[in-house]
Amino acid sequence: MEFFVKRDEIIADVFIIAFFAFMLIHAMELRFVRRIGEMGSGFWPILALSASLLLSIILLISNLIRFQREKKQASEEVLISPEGKIDLKNRRKKFALSVISLLGYIIIMPWIGFVLSTLIYVFAFILALGERRRFVLALSPFLVTALAVIVFAKFISMPLPKGVNIFAAFSRLIY
Amino acid sequence: MLGHYLTAFSTIFLPQNLLALCLGGLWGLMAGALPGISTSMGVVLLTPFTYSMSPLTAFTILVSAYCGGITGGSITSILFGIPGEPSSVPTVIEGHSLAKQGRAAYALWIFLLCSIGGGLFSVFVMMAATPLIANFALRFGPPEYFALTILGLSVVSGLSGGSILKGLISCLFGIFLATIGTDGITGVERFTFGTTILLGGISFVTAMVGLLAVSEIFIEAEEPFQEYKGSAYYRGMKGEMPKVSEFKKNWLTLTKSPIIGTIIGALPGAGATIAAFLAYGEAARTSKQPEKFGNGAVDGLMAAECANNASTGGSMTILLSLGIPGSNTTAMLIAAFMIHGLQPGPLLLNQRPDVVYGVFVAMLMANLFLLGLTIVGIRIFLQLNRLPYSVFSAAIMILCVVGAFGLSNNMDDLYLMFAFGLIGYYMRKYGFPIAPAVLGLVLGNLAELSLRRTLLLSLGDPLILVSRPISAILMAAAVFSIVYPLFKKPKALKGV
Repeated sequence: MEFFVKRDEIIADVFIIAFFAFMLIHAMELRFVRRIGEMGSGFWPILALSASLLLSIILLISNLIRFQREKKQASEEVLISPEGKIDLKNRRKKFALSVISLLGYIIIMPWIGFVLSTLIYVFAFILALGERRRFVLALSPFLVTALAVIVFAKFISMPLPKGVNIFAAFSRLIY
Repeated sequence: MLGHYLTAFSTIFLPQNLLALCLGGLWGLMAGALPGISTSMGVVLLTPFTYSMSPLTAFTILVSAYCGGITGGSITSILFGIPGEPSSVPTVIEGHSLAKQGRAAYALWIFLLCSIGGGLFSVFVMMAATPLIANFALRFGPPEYFALTILGLSVVSGLSGGSILKGLISCLFGIFLATIGTDGITGVERFTFGTTILLGGISFVTAMVGLLAVSEIFIEAEEPFQEYKGSAYYRGMKGEMPKVSEFKKNWLTLTKSPIIGTIIGALPGAGATIAAFLAYGEAARTSKQPEKFGNGAVDGLMAAECANNASTGGSMTILLSLGIPGSNTTAMLIAAFMIHGLQPGPLLLNQRPDVVYGVFVAMLMANLFLLGLTIVGIRIFLQLNRLPYSVFSAAIMILCVVGAFGLSNNMDDLYLMFAFGLIGYYMRKYGFPIAPAVLGLVLGNLAELSLRRTLLLSLGDPLILVSRPISAILMAAAVFSIVYPLFKKPKALKGV
């Protein structure tokens, strides 16, 4: 478990360095965009990105040193713990399902409207989180959606998305 | 000044402001009391809905939520032994011990009266100190403003938690985010990559909601399925009111702790947690019965509660007078000021005295209201703790979505919120603190503008920053603020 976490951390550090380096290269193109006597549009981003890049490299080096040291010390048992692998897999699955359900919610909301998309989202999200009690699965999407519509659409009068065609007609019946 | 106070008092009693006080206080208490939502997250979730309110009503609800959040953290600490906020850890130690001894209501009364007392003390200090500091800061020019912003950014060391290196990277990432969009001086597009979504820059609220709230829900989603259970210790608040003699007996602790809390709260980045631990440590050091600490020491509970609530006034003092955040939550409040077109700092008192004095009075009233709201709210929070966490998370996520969308009724903001949610998730996963990134995003633009004005003034000579005394002192304080925590950790926090 520890082994995987550390390896992931190194990959993350490399990604961060690549991100800051890419942005720094882009910022370099801005260094001559300026008014007379002024330091220009590129100066501040270059300063911030250079410092970020430098600190990220320091972080990677310190993590690599720690990683090597701990790799030598770690026992075989810790490196390939099957419980750890299952736990990690479950966590990743639940995270992926929550991300997909939120992304789906955002994508479908302009098409089917706030009410229907929220109903579907709440159901999908609590299911993804591990809720299996039928009454909670059946009731909570309606309760949460009703509460959201009463507070935001009726009380605060927010122009929530209504959807298109038949969905828009349905939404207009409610708010 | 008296006129401003009279206006503020007459405005705070308008029905919408009284409602804002109650709703903000209850929301803050709930955010503080429920594990999984912090005070800063509570304030962030409220911020988008204040956009259409008048600034005074908006800040009434926000500061009420801030005070409520700090207070609410102690309810679960005493009844469940779960600190709703990190600053409530000493309260868990002493308050929960008292609850286990069958004295939960007594502990709740002590916590409530001391919290309100500490909060009120710090509000009076804030009322006296803010105009003095702001008037002094009025003589600041662009170099001093830049140094002040750097001092504000230097609080990153206090907001970083474990690794200052990661805190600095997070803060610089926030500063980079602040540069995205059209440059106000040259009109050139920066890091937009041809998209229209990023032309106007990154909205503070969208980024904050994504980084803080959405990422927190993703993190919580990974945890094994759980339900929170109600406390077995609560039987009501009647009949256990502490006697006046108990407060008289601990007068020294009750005097020292609010002072410690207010001063620590005013230090950039220190906040309620350090204040509570320092006051608790001081109470333990000077207690006549030090052996009771850890087993329900009343003076320990009094010290921690007085200090953590007193830190709110201290943090707000430097926020309103200098524009520097003293804690995570006040860093979020800077963004709230900005979405209302206000810049907290020395000029705010001159430009919008109605808002500043309104905030003073709102904080005063919020602390008084919290006494009643907490007594009424405890039973509600106990019931909320029985809600399935999955449903609670879904409701919070919908609040995030509506908040991010409602700011400009734009679906693009939801995609940005989603992206920031993922960024926040990975930042948390790999130990990068979120608060410094928000701080960088909020203060980055101001820092850049004041540096560009400074260098224009000095014809490109950066030595101007250290050749003017106030600027030099502020820059030195910023360096000290970053470097000092690398070498020194408060004794009270060791081992925590």
